[in-house]
Amino acid sequence: MSKYITKRILMSVLTLFIIIFVLFVLIRIMPGDPFPVERMSAEMILQKREELGLNKPILEQFVNYMSMLLSGSFGNGTSLYNGAPIKPIMTACLINSFKIGVLSILFGTLVGLAIGIIAALNRGKFLDGLCTIVSILGVCIPSYVFMIFLQYFFSYKIPFFPYFFDPSNFLASSIMPALSLSLFAISTIARFTRNEMLEVLNSDYVKLAEAKGLYGFELIRKHVLRNALIPIVTVIAPLVVSLLTGAMVIEKIYGINGVGKLMVDAIAGQGVDYNYVLALSIVFSAMYIGVMLVLDILYGIIDPRIRLTSKEG
Amino acid sequence: MNKDDFEFISDRDISVDENFASQGYWKGVAVHFFRNKFAVTGLILIIVIMLFAIFAPIVSTYSYDQIVAVTDAGGKEVIAKSLSPQIGDGSAQNFFADKTFIFGTDDMGRDLWTRTWQGARVSLIIAFVAIFIDMLIGTSYGLISGFFGGIVDHILQRFIEIAGSVPTLVIISILAIFMEKGIGLVIVSLLITEWIGMSKIARAECLKLKEREYVLASRTLGAGSFHIIFKQILPNTIGPIITQVMFSIPVAIFTEAFLSFVGVGIVLPQCSIGSLIEAGFNNITILPYQILPPICVLAILMLGFNLIGDGFREALAPKLEDM
Amino acid sequence: MIKILMATLLLVTMIFAGCGGDSADGNVKLSVMLGSNVVSLDSGHATDSTSFEVIADCIDGLMQLDSDGKAIPALAESFDVSEDGKTYTFHLRDAKWSNGDPVTAEDFVFAWRRHCQKAEEYAYIMGDTVACVKNADAVIKGGDPKTLGVSAPDPKTFVVELDAPVSFFPSLMCFPTFYPINEKFYNSLDEGSYGTSPETFLSNGAFMLANYIPGTANIQLKKNDSYWNADKISLDGFQYQVVSSSDNALTSFKNGTLNLVSISGNQVEHVKKDAELSKNLKTFPSGYLNYLSFNQDPKNHHAGALSNVNLRLAISNAIDRESLVYNYVMNGAVATYTAVPVEFAPNAKTGKFFAEDQKQFSDVVSFNVSKSQEFLAKAKAELGKDNFDLNLIYSNDGDASTKIVQAIKSQVEENLPGVKINLQPMPKAEYLSNVTSDNYDLALVDWTPDYNDPMTFLTLWTTSGCEIAEHWSNAEYDKIISDCTTGDLAANYDARWNAMYDAEKILLDNAVIAPLYTDANAILISPNVEGIDFHVAGVTRVFKNVKLK
Repeated sequence: MSKYITKRILMSVLTLFIIIFVLFVLIRIMPGDPFPVERMSAEMILQKREELGLNKPILEQFVNYMSMLLSGSFGNGTSLYNGAPIKPIMTACLINSFKIGVLSILFGTLVGLAIGIIAALNRGKFLDGLCTIVSILGVCIPSYVFMIFLQYFFSYKIPFFPYFFDPSNFLASSIMPALSLSLFAISTIARFTRNEMLEVLNSDYVKLAEAKGLYGFELIRKHVLRNALIPIVTVIAPLVVSLLTGAMVIEKIYGINGVGKLMVDAIAGQGVDYNYVLALSIVFSAMYIGVMLVLDILYGIIDPRIRLTSKEG
Repeated sequence: MNKDDFEFISDRDISVDENFASQGYWKGVAVHFFRNKFAVTGLILIIVIMLFAIFAPIVSTYSYDQIVAVTDAGGKEVIAKSLSPQIGDGSAQNFFADKTFIFGTDDMGRDLWTRTWQGARVSLIIAFVAIFIDMLIGTSYGLISGFFGGIVDHILQRFIEIAGSVPTLVIISILAIFMEKGIGLVIVSLLITEWIGMSKIARAECLKLKEREYVLASRTLGAGSFHIIFKQILPNTIGPIITQVMFSIPVAIFTEAFLSFVGVGIVLPQCSIGSLIEAGFNNITILPYQILPPICVLAILMLGFNLIGDGFREALAPKLEDM
Repeated sequence: MIKILMATLLLVTMIFAGCGGDSADGNVKLSVMLGSNVVSLDSGHATDSTSFEVIADCIDGLMQLDSDGKAIPALAESFDVSEDGKTYTFHLRDAKWSNGDPVTAEDFVFAWRRHCQKAEEYAYIMGDTVACVKNADAVIKGGDPKTLGVSAPDPKTFVVELDAPVSFFPSLMCFPTFYPINEKFYNSLDEGSYGTSPETFLSNGAFMLANYIPGTANIQLKKNDSYWNADKISLDGFQYQVVSSSDNALTSFKNGTLNLVSISGNQVEHVKKDAELSKNLKTFPSGYLNYLSFNQDPKNHHAGALSNVNLRLAISNAIDRESLVYNYVMNGAVATYTAVPVEFAPNAKTGKFFAEDQKQFSDVVSFNVSKSQEFLAKAKAELGKDNFDLNLIYSNDGDASTKIVQAIKSQVEENLPGVKINLQPMPKAEYLSNVTSDNYDLALVDWTPDYNDPMTFLTLWTTSGCEIAEHWSNAEYDKIISDCTTGDLAANYDARWNAMYDAEKILLDNAVIAPLYTDANAILISPNVEGIDFHVAGVTRVFKNVKLK
């Protein structure tokens, strides 16, 4: 197992390196200069490009970038928060998105699992139908529309939560965005849990367990849920990444200083801020790869059969 | 041995079970599907939406990009913008009392009824593209990766990590250099990005199933890998796959809306359900009727697709029905 | 399972521990909406009006604008102008930075040299099209910053030498690029960290930062007690909240969360119908000119046709500007038929706005369908083409621009048979890259004036002007502009003023652009807030004189 994990980690590091290179090249192809140009003359633009080293061969630029990266710096922003170092700003944004993300994952997973299990156990009955409708509505209403509804009713009509995000009152002001973000997660997880549960409930080993006299919560926990978990974990993993990496529109509406908005501003702002787009993409990819790594290892824990096959490769 | 050692089976009188006539696999699926009243309801919902999407814009008095206007007594042009739903019985207190706007008009003075159905066209196309991408690319990628395991799996999974790490906005901005903006560009970018989630599901399912007895049996009998993947494993993974497809439809529709929002999606004055929701969203608290039609159409569409999906899943794996 | 649950709960507690408390100091009473994030509080980097506004809250320049838009002394107690108008000597008052250092002329010298040397977007304002500071262009191009025409003969005297007399130079000194930076403090910071937190930012103005990190949606300011004019500041502090949607702005105003918000389009319409709310509504022109830019490069791959003046005139005269502002912009914007926006750039002597007479070019810029069709017929004959397929690009960052382009498309296609317009929305960066690199036919441009003089617009269309390249070049036009900025006319106010009308006539006769409308600000303001000054250029809102009732 440990050999497998080591190999897997080494692979991930290599992948990350390739990703950085691919991103580096792609971002330089994007139309748009990395600094505001509206009031610059053509001459000034050329001068600025030279100053930023954008005229050098791409490999040389990449080497420079990597050496900067390895020394622990993401560089400075050039069109977004220009001149200021990226790391502290990005960290602040990451923390905000991360906290709200964690809340929404927790909420989404718990509620989603509960709805899924209830639906599966009441298959074909009224509760099942209700759960299905809830989970369908959950994917039909974009989270930001739901957010506006929440804001309208619980901050405007009944001023219960702060109208805008307030870092000094974190918990109260992150409940509405977390709730709206978790909507999609609830629906997805509920649907998958229901379907997986149904398949497992129908399997021979559950029937055997039932025949042996196991029933109720014990049966669900020991036999059904555990076996239904693999595909569910697979669904949750990318959701975790997408929830942690922020939601642009909600962050904009609620005034959250988060990474989703930071990313869109870096791409669609005054200029394409190469350094921000790269820094954020690298962090996102690292998170994604990390989650996938954990996922693969989790597969091994949940289902020992996978461990065996992985050793062969 | 000669010919006489054998006899034609047909010559013999073999008993054929006439109560349970044998039927083809797909016929069985169809029978199961149509026996399920939820599935049929879903099918009807989708067909109704499709019919509206096809015919409503054709039949409508207004074209989807037509700004409805009249000239008032003073010779000034008055535009029918932001009118709430009205039927042309003359009761509405505006210049357009004789005109019918079932869903009202948007803030450009265009008929929302026509635009909603025009938008449904685009979104239906996107929905089917999403299904296609998921089914074809995502599923086979995931199954192959999961089935072969080892080095193949490693390489394919690392490729996913690379492909998944490039932000959609970056991809589409680069594509926009080479392509005209519009629905084509959106479809290509969905092709590039939308299959990843599905491939993960398919791979996980494959990992779960490939050690099963029937796979082993099949392999012992000499079946090739691809035969096993697509004939043995695929039909058994259909449940989670269909569930995932259902979720990629709204994701694709909203991705398109997000791209329009940033300025790389569908080109105005064309519209899609996503871009209509986006437009209604700007005025949600003061003109709430503008966002309701597209959301309702999307909800019905989703409900329909989900019911069909459930129906299919149960028809393809009838064992569930016995529960 | 239970263990996992317990573990997650523990994790959550850990994450949220230490999040409470830490509320803002002082009781903030005034909350103001910002339309976008502050990009930078470093006056050498800032490029957007939001940043300029917050910088101006915290730092005073040599001069400031009073509520009527006249330049009055700020850090400069007084100033002398030499006979030829080319040397300004500012005498500084005793002012202090918030860390106790005195504000000296050296702080100005340092800041001005640094801005030229950095050559960021706004360095152009030091150069020969605007402020004409001696050697500024050479320093921007990489020359020795010491050669810049600024000096500090003693700590309280700041001398600026110009290449040419600039009639509006004192009011230019209200612009944040000309503000001082404390050199000693700046050098004590890590590179790039200036202005990224209350600790790394020094103020000498009415307010100072209480709470700020780059990108934050909520900025809190408090009164600066060491401000030279602190007695006159009645506000203890206020906060900014970034709100991006007009709908959200309206609700937050109704809710009482914000006291001053900007709204647009449908929200303005909605407020006007509401008897109570409409009492709080104020609309006034903002000095932003929205216009259509024609790419006249004859080699332009899909629209060499636009190098034909009659086609441009046809399009310009086929647009019903009144309908655009009345039906789609809806925030009090004014249809504009001149290259300089309305209610902008008053004449220093007569007080009349430069574009007061909107009819003066009505033979070339108006809404006249039959005339535009005549122009089109001529264009068709001259070009030997019957159909014109044009791409209209615009940056997709506002609700109004999206509606405007659709209305233009609909009007032009209806009034000019044979002309087809394809709308091309794109992110701002891509839009800028297209307009600066010849890759468009028509572009919707929204230009923000930097200073209150027609030149902030007229220099856009010179051969070497701003990077939105119409590919139009006219020697006579270039000459008038250079005469007015650095040449013979610079010293003669009336002659310069009249020459600018001549230039504008050349521009519009050739239909280099099709002016559309002057944008407006529609704001909702709580009745208990008084004394906010609004200006059309540079720093657009000033909170120094605010009084809360």
